[in-house]
Amino acid sequence: MTSRTTTAARRKRKPASLPMRIATGVVWVVVAADIALIGWILLTSLRDGTDILNHPFGAPTHPKFANYSKVFSDGGFGRAALNSVLVAVLSSVLAVAVAAPCAYALARRRNRVSGAMSMTFAMGLGVPGQVMVVPLFIGMAKVNLDDSQPGLILVYLGLAMPFTVYLLTGFFAGIPQVLEEAAVLDGAGALRTFTRVILPVARGGLVTAFLLQFISAWNETLFAIVLTHSQDKVTLPVALSNFVQEAQLNGLDWGAMFAGVCVVLAPMIALFSWLGSRIIQGMTVGIGK
Amino acid sequence: MSTATPVTLQDSSRTRRVRGGSASRPPVGAAPLERSRRRMFWAFTTPAVLIYVVLFLVPVGYAAWTSLYKWDGIGPKKWRGLKNYQTLWQDPIFRHSLTNTLKILFVGGILTFAFAFALMLILREMNRKLFARSVLFFPCLVNAMVFGIAAGVLFSPTGPVNKTLEALGWSHPPQWLATEHLQTMILGTLVWTATGYYTAILMAAVDQIPEYLYEAAELDGANAFQRFRHVTLPMCWDVISVCAVLWTVSSVKIFELILMYGGSSGSQPPSDSWNTAMYVYIEAFPTASTPQLGLATAAALVSLFLVVVFTVVLRRLLRRDPIEY
Repeated sequence: MTSRTTTAARRKRKPASLPMRIATGVVWVVVAADIALIGWILLTSLRDGTDILNHPFGAPTHPKFANYSKVFSDGGFGRAALNSVLVAVLSSVLAVAVAAPCAYALARRRNRVSGAMSMTFAMGLGVPGQVMVVPLFIGMAKVNLDDSQPGLILVYLGLAMPFTVYLLTGFFAGIPQVLEEAAVLDGAGALRTFTRVILPVARGGLVTAFLLQFISAWNETLFAIVLTHSQDKVTLPVALSNFVQEAQLNGLDWGAMFAGVCVVLAPMIALFSWLGSRIIQGMTVGIGK
Repeated sequence: MSTATPVTLQDSSRTRRVRGGSASRPPVGAAPLERSRRRMFWAFTTPAVLIYVVLFLVPVGYAAWTSLYKWDGIGPKKWRGLKNYQTLWQDPIFRHSLTNTLKILFVGGILTFAFAFALMLILREMNRKLFARSVLFFPCLVNAMVFGIAAGVLFSPTGPVNKTLEALGWSHPPQWLATEHLQTMILGTLVWTATGYYTAILMAAVDQIPEYLYEAAELDGANAFQRFRHVTLPMCWDVISVCAVLWTVSSVKIFELILMYGGSSGSQPPSDSWNTAMYVYIEAFPTASTPQLGLATAAALVSLFLVVVFTVVLRRLLRRDPIEY
């Protein structure tokens, strides 16, 4: 199949028309602009403010790592980075751990109850976050979980349910049932079959679900801003927005501001260059088919 | 097919039920898998359902209820019925926010999909298309604040963009971040970051179209446009309709891009650039005035209503008979 596709594509490509060549050129310009922008952000984080003003596109003559120490000490980014890692990892692990059995049950048992349940989860995909932000703020305050990491983790866990269940249901449905039949014939119960046979086979889907939830929790801003405010509780997006707003008052230090931006950005670059195709697949095939 | 065995296994129990046999007590030895699954169903689903109900559905219900009251979050609630919605309708700032939301939804949506389709068609014929796709996809993984802040520096009056334009001989480049241009700049940034994502989805869908359909179309003398119109488009129609719904939901909840666009001027962005999500945030968590939780949740429900209506309409409009291949 793939070999046929490539030969067909190659055959089609040979007489590339002029408009097509121009279009391809435009696409490469856009690709180059994307790379240049990210590169510019990374480089700018190593320069000082006046230098950036005078030579916006210059290379950092004396790399100023002080920008980073500044955001980590003054901006509280050290603590915020730790919080972000903690909140994103824990909420994603919990989301997958809770959603996986449910998605498996929904994928394997098709009747009216499971259909209604799947439907209810899918409906959650359409609810914009701002609807829940006030109730969750009040609810978390009621149970004394406001301005705390456990509170934020719980909120992200709840928000993750619709998509994680949806994605994993599709994934489990694609695993051949023959596997379970073999396990049952060997005398394994449903729980044992699930943990010993299905979960290992489904590892790829679970990792994808974890990754996607991690990425969205890492970038989540609205709930983080509303639910956390103490210096030692905020996550990176909140720390960054506080830093930018303070910088507005005290005069902009562009270098330090971009260092802050890079602390938020860098893990995504690292993750994407390492697991890029898996992330794209999870976000596209999960939705598309 | 490889699923032949399980199908017969399931079918046998189903046929039994149809024939009037008891489904709850299958004959000894028949479908032990089915029986153990039934037992495990609730144990497996309850935790997720519980969390979903408590942390998701109940808050949505609570928001609907709160939207009928006047409440500052501390004092007593005062019944207002649907008056909050009436107040919203009369509030010029909310109407402007709603217009912005709709502008993002429609104009942004049309531009994003037009670009995504064009890119998909070009990328298909390109060398090193995987690399190009990856680079174009990446922005959607980045917190939108990053681009908002970067734009604030790039497009500032004495920033790199204007300096470059001046060097090229444009003596009075536009005030990119002036309030009247902010909406357009935000929209542009949004379209640019979203296009790569939808391109990737469309490419994934198009890659699944069997090559022989194109070969057959070519043999029938179809040109490139006809191949697109009669093969590509109908074959990925389902995916397009899912994308349209996805765009609706994600465009309505845009928040951090607007909050931080231009590096944010002071404590909150100018109200000309707000969308409904920003309106909810500012009414519920204002820096200077009293919170208006009833009004804020009402505004949030308007955006939910928007999503529901659009989803239903889009589903209707884009529905086609599924194509088997």
